[in-house]
Amino acid sequence: MTADAPVAPTAPPALGSPEWGGFDPARTRGRGLRDLRRSFMTAARLGWQTEANWTDPILFFIYSVAKPLSTTLIFVVMIEVIGGASTREFRGFVVVGTALWAFVIAGIAGLAWAVLDDRERYRMLKYVVVSPSDFLTVLLGRGVARIAVGGMGAAITLSVGVLALGVPLDAGRIDWPLLLPVMLGGLVTIVAVGILLAAVCIQTRQESWSYPEAAAGALFLVTGAVFPLSVLPAPVQVVGWLTPLTWWIEGVRLAVFPAGPSGIGGTGSAFAAFTGRVRPEPHEIVVALLGTGVLVTLAAIVGFRVSLHRAKDRGLLDQTTGS
Amino acid sequence: MSGNPYVHRPTASPQAAAEWTQRQILMTNLRTVAGRAYPRVRGLAREKSWLFFEILLPFLTTSAFVFVYRALQAPPEYVGFVVLGGAMTAFWLNVIWMMASQLWWEKSQGNLELYFAAPMDIVAVLLGMAVGGMVMSSSRAAVVLVVATVVYGVTFAVDQWLLLLAVFFLTLTALYGLGMVLASLFLMWGREAYHLTQFLQEPVYFVSGLNFPVGRLGMLGALAIALLPLAVGLDAMRQLAFADAAYPVGTPPPEVEALILVVMTVVFLSLARWMLRTLERLARREGRLTIRWQ
Repeated sequence: MTADAPVAPTAPPALGSPEWGGFDPARTRGRGLRDLRRSFMTAARLGWQTEANWTDPILFFIYSVAKPLSTTLIFVVMIEVIGGASTREFRGFVVVGTALWAFVIAGIAGLAWAVLDDRERYRMLKYVVVSPSDFLTVLLGRGVARIAVGGMGAAITLSVGVLALGVPLDAGRIDWPLLLPVMLGGLVTIVAVGILLAAVCIQTRQESWSYPEAAAGALFLVTGAVFPLSVLPAPVQVVGWLTPLTWWIEGVRLAVFPAGPSGIGGTGSAFAAFTGRVRPEPHEIVVALLGTGVLVTLAAIVGFRVSLHRAKDRGLLDQTTGS
Repeated sequence: MSGNPYVHRPTASPQAAAEWTQRQILMTNLRTVAGRAYPRVRGLAREKSWLFFEILLPFLTTSAFVFVYRALQAPPEYVGFVVLGGAMTAFWLNVIWMMASQLWWEKSQGNLELYFAAPMDIVAVLLGMAVGGMVMSSSRAAVVLVVATVVYGVTFAVDQWLLLLAVFFLTLTALYGLGMVLASLFLMWGREAYHLTQFLQEPVYFVSGLNFPVGRLGMLGALAIALLPLAVGLDAMRQLAFADAAYPVGTPPPEVEALILVVMTVVFLSLARWMLRTLERLARREGRLTIRWQ
């Protein structure tokens, strides 16, 4: 009996050494945008499967719209309980605000929960981080699915508002040139806030599941989502101006209901006292959204990088906690 | 044999050693309750970010509802309704996130089989979670209640303190009983549990009348009062805490609602006990319920 000669393992063609036999450092840099796109698409597909494949489509649909619809109904009943002359006008204000808020909650929670899911439930976070894919790209891909679910909830809430709650929406009067850039800027901002929360969740423990909702709830107060900022003390109104989500919601409201009440301005508001006008102009909204949005996005990227570096340094990526 | 610290008394065989006295069973279960409550109580002080995310931010959420009523120029007692509702959300969130989902969560962590293998009653484990959760949530609820009362100038008018306290504790007992029932169900439903937890937030807030008198919902409100401890408890507490306010008609008086809570407590705790026993039997016999990812 003779021993077989050892056979050297052969790498697949794509992973083989260069023809000249040495190590190609370009391989460590990846293939740029092509790799990023592939990571993003794979993560988005994975995110959608995680979100949607646990049940049948009907139950998934009910689950997706129940939350934003219930939130809207809470406010609608609150308005109905009090009544008054401005009820109908205020109902439209609230329906748009809560419909848009479905995006905010979905966007923030989607990214933060992707971190928690992978660390605490599937225990894959450390493997994802050390893989050649860019972690932030993977995270964005995972978050996209939840934003899509949030978008579905927002659309249904708006539809129910118009069809069942008498919200006076006239499709012919929508200011599309304002709506489109404002929606785009708002979505980017939401993702940025989500990245910030993801950075926080990398550092914290299992109970961070409720953090995204808590953060969204706090932003709810200062963004004029469901009531005009004019009822808040002036310094808090100024805090609202610094939040891009405030300008996003104001922009969408102005585009959809040009004659409706303003969340930022209005009689007795700090905005009116400061500018002498009852509501901001469309170009002011776009500029303010862009300015504050860029700041938040930069802060999110820097914060995320710092958080990830610290997590690697302190071994937080494979910590699982329970209480 | 006598050198073994795990043997409490000299026994003739392992079978005899497994025969525990009533006192041993009781003491072990009490230790289980204390042991399972411990991480939640101690965790209060150990996770600093919790103070910010679990106390300050929920207070701001409650504030948003207060300002909606202010924007609508609602009577002052409605601000009080919101504050009371905001305080009670702490308990509901704790019940669905840290009671109902917990067994499923423990299964995912790999701890559940240890629970079933250990010589203790699984009901004691859940009771420990409930006690720890109540302490945890009480701090958040107290902060929301006290700070919001001071900041927004809420005035309570209580005529029947004893009944108010009884209703509060009955609400907690019924809520955590429901949490134990849900814990068993969620364990069996697997992945769906995670999504159901989220599903049980806003829709339950709505039908429970968290920010408005539940009587305004008509039949839906009546159904909620019959089925949800949060709805009936909150309604009774509002009637008792704002005795001088013109409370909307349509719901039973607080004495009747207290009785409903007693019935709910008995039903939920009995149901939870039966379901947990069934679950334990299935876990031991089939050996699948406790395995991760199943």
